[in-house]
Amino acid sequence: MTPLLAISDLHVAYKAVPALSGVSIELFEGEILVILGANGAGKTTIVKSILGLTNIQRGSVSLRTDGASHDLRKLQTHQIHRLGVTWVPEGRQLWGAMTVLDNLKMGGFASDPTETRQRIEEMLDWFPRLRERQDQLAGSLSGGEQQMVALARALIARPKLILMDELSLGLAPLVVAEVFQLVKKVNSLGVSVLLVEQNARQALRIATRAYLLEVGHVVESGPAAELANKQSVQDIFLGGHS
Amino acid sequence: MNLFLQQLLNGVIIGSTYAVIAIGFALVFTVLRVINFAHPDIFMVGMFGGLLCAKYVSSNFFVVAAASALSAGLVGLILERAVLRPLRGRDALMTLIATLGVGIMLENGVAALISPDVVAFPPVISRQPIDLGAVSVSKPQIVNLIVSLISLAIVSYYVRLTPYGRATRAVAERPDVAAAFGVNVSRVSQVAVTLASMLAGCAAVSVGLLYGNAWAFIGLAYGIKGFICILIAGNRYFEGVMLVALALGILEALITGYLSSTYRDAIAFLLLIAVLYVRPNGLFGSYST
Amino acid sequence: MFGQWESLVIFTLLNVMLTVGVYVTAMSGQLSLATAAIAGLGGYAAAILTRNFGWPFVPAILMGAVVGAFVGAFIAAVTLRMRDFILKLTTLAFGEMIAVVAFNIDYIGGANSFTGIPAYTGFWNCLIGVLIATYLAWRFDGSRLGFASRAVRDDVVAAAATGISVLQVRVVTFALGAAICGAAGALQAHYMLIVSPQELGFFASLNFIIFLLFGGMYVLWGAMLGATVLTILPELMRFTTEYRHVLFGLIITVVVLFRPQGLIPRIPTGVSGRFSRAGRRRASKLSSAENDQWRLG
Repeated sequence: MTPLLAISDLHVAYKAVPALSGVSIELFEGEILVILGANGAGKTTIVKSILGLTNIQRGSVSLRTDGASHDLRKLQTHQIHRLGVTWVPEGRQLWGAMTVLDNLKMGGFASDPTETRQRIEEMLDWFPRLRERQDQLAGSLSGGEQQMVALARALIARPKLILMDELSLGLAPLVVAEVFQLVKKVNSLGVSVLLVEQNARQALRIATRAYLLEVGHVVESGPAAELANKQSVQDIFLGGHS
Repeated sequence: MNLFLQQLLNGVIIGSTYAVIAIGFALVFTVLRVINFAHPDIFMVGMFGGLLCAKYVSSNFFVVAAASALSAGLVGLILERAVLRPLRGRDALMTLIATLGVGIMLENGVAALISPDVVAFPPVISRQPIDLGAVSVSKPQIVNLIVSLISLAIVSYYVRLTPYGRATRAVAERPDVAAAFGVNVSRVSQVAVTLASMLAGCAAVSVGLLYGNAWAFIGLAYGIKGFICILIAGNRYFEGVMLVALALGILEALITGYLSSTYRDAIAFLLLIAVLYVRPNGLFGSYST
Repeated sequence: MFGQWESLVIFTLLNVMLTVGVYVTAMSGQLSLATAAIAGLGGYAAAILTRNFGWPFVPAILMGAVVGAFVGAFIAAVTLRMRDFILKLTTLAFGEMIAVVAFNIDYIGGANSFTGIPAYTGFWNCLIGVLIATYLAWRFDGSRLGFASRAVRDDVVAAAATGISVLQVRVVTFALGAAICGAAGALQAHYMLIVSPQELGFFASLNFIIFLLFGGMYVLWGAMLGATVLTILPELMRFTTEYRHVLFGLIITVVVLFRPQGLIPRIPTGVSGRFSRAGRRRASKLSSAENDQWRLG
C-alpha cells in the first residue's frame, strides 16, 4: 500500500548544526503515527520540513492525494495547506491578539466560506467551553482551552492529514488525557494524524504505529504495542521528559 | 488661551500628517517585519506626482490626489517585488540598507529630473485662512485632517473587518502559522505595501497643499518622525500609532508656541528614549513579545 | 604631497578609521547609529582644548578619544536590556539628541559651528591614526574579549548561559569603538577646521554602517575595504554629474540584493555551533521568538 506521506532520507541543518541526518518515515492513510523522542531529537524539525518551513539539504517529502504524488519540497507552505494538511503547532501558537472566533475563521481561510461557517458551528458544538468564549481574545484563555482552539482551528478545513506537535506540553495530566481522547475521535472520522510527542506513555496508547527519534536519526519503528515494550522506549518513560 | 487653542489645532494637523505616514510605515513594518526606508521617499514621489498632474493635467483636487496615490502606489509595488520580497527572511538591516539605497535613488532622481530646490505646489485649494474667532484654520489644514481620518478609517476597516485584513494581522503576528493555514504571505505583503504607498501618496498631496511647496528631500524629516511614532506606540495596534502621532504633533506645536522651535525636533527623540526605557515594546505592546 | 587628491586621501583615511570604530562596537552585536555624533563630540572636545586652552595636538586627540569612550560606555549601559533592533534605534536617537543639543549650545558656536580650529591634521597623523585603530581592532579581534563579544553578538542568551558578563562585554566594546571614533572626530576637526552640528546627525552615521555592511561586517579588513571603496567611488563618478547620487543609491541597493554578506563574507567558525547547542538546552526557557528557529526537536 502506498503511504499518504512519505519522507525519505531527510537531512536538515540549521546553520552549522545538523538537526536531521537521513530520516525516513512513512505514514499511511487513516492511522495515528507517533514520533517519539527527547527534547532536541529533531521531532519538530520533521513537522516543519513537511510544511516547508525549514531548509532541507537533502531528501524528499511527498504527499499522495487525489491519485497524484506531490513533491512537497517544490511547494510553498500555503500551497501545502491547500493539499489538505493542517497544523497544531508546538505551544499552540494561536493568534493571541485575535478573538477565538477569528482564530477559527482563519482556520478556514483557504476554504469555502459557507462550509467554514458550518464547520465552525460544529467545532463550537464539540467544544462548548469555546462557544462561551468565542469573542474573547485567544491570548487570554487557559492552556487547555488554547489547545482546544488550536485543535479546532486545524479541523475547520476538513484536512486529510493533521500534524500535531507536542500536544501535551504545559497541560495538566487530566487535560492531557482528554486531549488524547479527542485525537482518537478525530482519527475515527477518517483524518490521518502525525503526532509528535515527548509523552510516550499516553501517545503510544492511541497510536497505530510509531517511530523513535534520537539526535536526528530514527532508531526504532513499528506497531505501537511492539514499541511500548522495547527497552529504548522504556528509557524514555523514565528519563526523557524535561 | 487663544495661543493655546491655535497651537492645539496646528498640532492636531501636523500630528495627523505624521500619523498617515506613520501608519504606512507601520503597515509595512508590522506585516513584513522590516523597515522600509524608501517609504518617506514614496511619499515624496506621490507629492511630485500630484504636483506634475496639477501643473500639466488638471487642477481638480480629486484628480490630483488620484495621480499622487497612483504614482506612489506604483513605486511601492515595484519596490515590493524587486527589493522587499527577495530580501524576505534575511536580517532586517539588509532591507533597511537596500531601501535606503532606493530612497537615495528616488530623492536624487527627482532632484535631477525636476529640481533639487523647493518647488512651488500649485494652489489647487486656496490657502486663505478662515477665521473662526478664537482660532483660524485654512482649507488645506481641514483637508489634511480629513485625509488622515479617512486613511485611518480605511486601514482600520481593512485590517479588522475584511478576511484579507484578518490574514494580514495573522501574518503580522505569526507568519509561519498563517502560511500553514493557506495565507499567501507574499501576496499579503504586496497588498500591504501598495496600500501603504497609496495612502502616503494621498497624504503627500494634502501636505503639499498645506505648505504650498514640495521638495525632493522632504522625506527624511517626516520619515524619522513617523518612524519614531511607531516605535513609541508599538506595532500591535495601528490606532495606537495614530494616537501617538497626534500627541507628538500637539506636543511639538505647544512647545514651539510656548518655548522655542529649536528644541522641537529633540522632543520626539527624548520621548522615544523615555518610553522605550520603561516599555521596550512600545506603549501599546508589540507582536514580538 | 598629493596635490588635488589630498582631501580625498585624508577623508578616506578618516572614514576607514571611523568604520573600524563601528566595526569594533558591532563585534558585540551593537550596531551604533550614533557614530557621527560621537565623532563630533570628540571633535568638539579636542577643538575646544586646542583653540581655547592651547593644548598640544596629541593630548587633545586623546581627550577626544576619552570623551568618545565615556559616551559609548554610557549608551551601552543604557541600552543593555534592549534587543537588536530597538537597540539600533536608540543609538540613533542618542545621536540625534546630541546633534540637536550641539545645535543649541552657544559656547561651541551653536548653529554657526565651531570655527577657528588650528590646522594640525595632515596625511601622516591620519595614517598613524588608522594604523593605531587597526592595530587595536586586530588585537581585540583575537583576544578573549573579542571571542566573548562575538558570542554575545551571535546569541546573547546562550552567551550569558555560559557565564559571560554581557554588560561588561557590551560596555567595553562600545567604549573602545567609540574611543576610536572620538579620536577620528578630533582629527577631522583639525582638518576641516570646523565642526558643525549638522554633520552629527543620523545620515552621517548611517554612512558608516553602509560602509561596514558593504565591505562585510564580520571581518576587519572587509570593513576597511568597504569604507575605502565607498569613499572613493563617488569621487570617481564625478563625471556623471547630477545622476551620480542616483547611481550611488543603485549600487548600494544592488550590492545588498545580490551579495548581502558584503564584499568580504564571514569565515565560518565553530563558535556559533558550539555555543548554540549548549546554550539552547540550558536557556530553552528564555528563548525568544527569534531563537525559535534554533529549537531542535
